[in-house]
Amino acid sequence: MSTPEVPSRSRGVIALIEDNCTVCMVCAQECPDWCIDIRGHPEPVPAERAGGRARTRNVLDVFRIDFSLCMYCGICVEVCPFDALRWAADYAYAGASRAELTHERGRLQGWAARSNEGS
Amino acid sequence: MSAAALAALLSERHGLAASRTGEAVTVEVSADAWLAAATVLRQAEGVCCAFFDWLSAYEEVDGGLVVLLHVAAVPLRHRALLRTRLPAAGPAALPSLTGLWAGAGWHERETHEMFGVDFPGHPALTPLLLPAGAGTPLRKTAGLLARQATAWPGAHDPSGRARRRPRPPGG
Repeated sequence: MSTPEVPSRSRGVIALIEDNCTVCMVCAQECPDWCIDIRGHPEPVPAERAGGRARTRNVLDVFRIDFSLCMYCGICVEVCPFDALRWAADYAYAGASRAELTHERGRLQGWAARSNEGS
Repeated sequence: MSAAALAALLSERHGLAASRTGEAVTVEVSADAWLAAATVLRQAEGVCCAFFDWLSAYEEVDGGLVVLLHVAAVPLRHRALLRTRLPAAGPAALPSLTGLWAGAGWHERETHEMFGVDFPGHPALTPLLLPAGAGTPLRKTAGLLARQATAWPGAHDPSGRARRRPRPPGG
């Protein structure tokens, strides 16, 4: 039996585009289920030229989504100001334990290969 | 009979505040008329709602409880929703309807354990679903244990600076 075709816009899983994430925390704040866990820390960025101002940027340490809590509402995807979260059509990620339903950043990045541009 | 005819029968012959929305008839009563109105729905000629569908409640924002009863007359093809409101300040109690419909027994037990409504006259108002010590979880004053025991993930600030504290959605 072959797996069924689902539309590419299906809400299968949430993918993370780490390069876009600025650790602004808005997705974690807006999630109604509190299922997104994010940790980050600031790192200094030296001034670009003499006399310039040093800056800081946020570096992502932890990004995990607990899909056993996620209700697939899409608020996090909608609200991300930098398009770092996208829907992907993959749905076959059932786990043998609740812990397997929490996806860390590497696994969330992995979904991005099949994510939905601009949805 | 049709919903319009049932609404007319209930209001004209029995003096009940019956209104119709589409095919649904809703009867609004005060708490002290609950048993009398239910008796009309069960026994009145032409009404005869012998099929007990459900009884439940919901809490309004101001703490008042709305209790609802849905019954039907299968051979006569009509149904009715009986509705009453228990103000927050008053006693949360309504006479038990188990004398009219035995099936109300479990529904009143569930409404009692979820909302704290008393049903005097009920043969055994014991909890139906909840373990002992669960409180009345469907009242808005009952806190959700998962939210109390878990720290909100949105509180973390990577920059470490103190900023205006955001709140979780819904406060």
